[in-house]
Amino acid sequence: MPKAFEFKQCVTILKSTGKKAKNLRELKDVLAVVSDGAIAHHTFQYFLKGHILEYTNDFAHWAGESIEERSLAERLSNIDPYDYAAVQDLRGDLTRAIDDYLTQFPEPRDALPGDEFYFNETVILVFPAGVRAKNLAEFLMAMKYTEGSTLYYHFYDARARLGNKADDFSQWLEEGLEKPEVARRIRAIDPFMHNLESIRERIVEAVEKEVKRDMESAGVPQ
Amino acid sequence: MIDVYKNIAPKGDLMLLRRLGDALRSRSFLHVNSTREGGGVAEILHRMIPILRELGIDARWEVIEGDARFFDITKKIHNGLQGNEEIITDQMWEYHGEVNRRNAEKLNLKADAVLIHDPQPAALVNFRKKGIWMWRCHIDVSGPKMAVWNALKRHCEKFDAAVFSVAKFARAMPVEEFIIPPSIDPVSDKNRDLSDSEIRDAAERFGIPRDRPVLLQVSRFDRFKDPIGVIKAYRMVKKYNDCVLVLAGSPASDDPEGEAVLNEVKEYASDDRDIFILLLPPFSDKDINALQRMATVVLQKSLKEGFGLTVAEAMWKEKPVLGGAVGGIPLQIVHGVTGFLVHSSEGAAFRIRQLLNNPDMAKRMGERGKEYIRNNFLITRQARDYLAVWYAMENKGRKVLEL
Repeated sequence: MPKAFEFKQCVTILKSTGKKAKNLRELKDVLAVVSDGAIAHHTFQYFLKGHILEYTNDFAHWAGESIEERSLAERLSNIDPYDYAAVQDLRGDLTRAIDDYLTQFPEPRDALPGDEFYFNETVILVFPAGVRAKNLAEFLMAMKYTEGSTLYYHFYDARARLGNKADDFSQWLEEGLEKPEVARRIRAIDPFMHNLESIRERIVEAVEKEVKRDMESAGVPQ
Repeated sequence: MIDVYKNIAPKGDLMLLRRLGDALRSRSFLHVNSTREGGGVAEILHRMIPILRELGIDARWEVIEGDARFFDITKKIHNGLQGNEEIITDQMWEYHGEVNRRNAEKLNLKADAVLIHDPQPAALVNFRKKGIWMWRCHIDVSGPKMAVWNALKRHCEKFDAAVFSVAKFARAMPVEEFIIPPSIDPVSDKNRDLSDSEIRDAAERFGIPRDRPVLLQVSRFDRFKDPIGVIKAYRMVKKYNDCVLVLAGSPASDDPEGEAVLNEVKEYASDDRDIFILLLPPFSDKDINALQRMATVVLQKSLKEGFGLTVAEAMWKEKPVLGGAVGGIPLQIVHGVTGFLVHSSEGAAFRIRQLLNNPDMAKRMGERGKEYIRNNFLITRQARDYLAVWYAMENKGRKVLEL
């Protein structure tokens, strides 16, 4: 009997670092000294916010929307935080991208008052969502109705925890239920191109396909 | 009490509330502010204390007492913190401290966690007994008159933590700083569901026709709420789409300019019979609810704003909202998703026309807006956050807390 998948949820409580930047030079200076927790919040936790526009982290979002430095926003958006073993390395690449941009465009504009970049960090509270799945059908049902923060915790936060670009769902499906095909399909979902609801739809679709295949191979009439 | 939120608030918020309640069971949690009635803080505390008690927490709410001189000083402090020119003498600060000292003698300040709301009772921290002391600042202190801030900061720095509504409202201090946005209560008179007849009744009483789209702004008559700008936007829209405009607000009794602004608005509206200027008495919550529900598009076209919870109230009623990109409004309106952020009367007019001509888009925005408020701005989330901050302070230094 495989171990049941216990769905968990997380909630973040925002903390202010008291640091802010009104232009790219200040952003770069604060990036160099701000806590690892703040950098992690503005990159990894971007997807917890739910509304994904055309960026993949808060720095890119601010560069694109608040100071309208679009090409820098594009470059920052292309930085994948899960590529880095340590936040320090991620910090280095973010800083380098800004440095390069400043070499080309040395006089960046200031954000309007109130629209500066505010560096925050978080405390995360993790707790059981009160749902367990023992098989694919139960997993499918839970996936349809579970809250967004559960998806975030198992799909995004897991990548930082597991450190191998995997997520909790595909890991359990592969190791617990021995379903490598559906696990592969879930791993193939690009985490940067979807919001939480669209991630849900794709996982549900992948699992439904697998359930259907199981039923067909068992000869269950549909 | 919590059960009334069962099918309204996100399940996860209620589950975490209960878990935090279990973790902090029988511990004492004291809130102190300066008024029992009136204002958003008192409104939320009335509802939140019973929720906390039901969770098994020994929650109490104390109110400091002061005379007219004290409250005149605290009003000046409030204005100075928001950047207005105010002179607060050493004698005034001494009196502020003295009133706090007298209150400290009378009040039972012993609790495991103490949340002091706003600057009026901030000096109580000098008489702290035990427990974790947190200063809850509801106002924007990002651009204060420095003399006022520096004098108040002496007290604020003695707390273990400070809590602000929005990151950009905060000021750096050598204490832990948390961000907890305010909230609305979905079952209060201002936000609960109303029947069609209750809405119809309000429309009839106010004489508002419902055969055309209704544009609404609920706010006091204050220049920072830009009521003239709203009328300008309405006039631009009216050239293309027939509609009515409702400006509803209470007279700003503590604002000497309030009457002047109201007169300007009336004069500017002139004899346009499709503009309704409603002066609502205090405790008109149900009427405000009805007005928001009968509106087609809601505006909060502020030029300067605190958090602007009227935006969340309207979004909760599935209305598309146009708001000025100031204060806490951008936190509530996700531009293009739950409403539009606007920067001018022309911008407001354009977005109103867009919404009036695309009812499907207006409906979709309204629906998304309600979900956004459900997930982020209900009282259960705020209660959860207060307990989470207390719990985090008891586990200081840990970034991940498993419950």
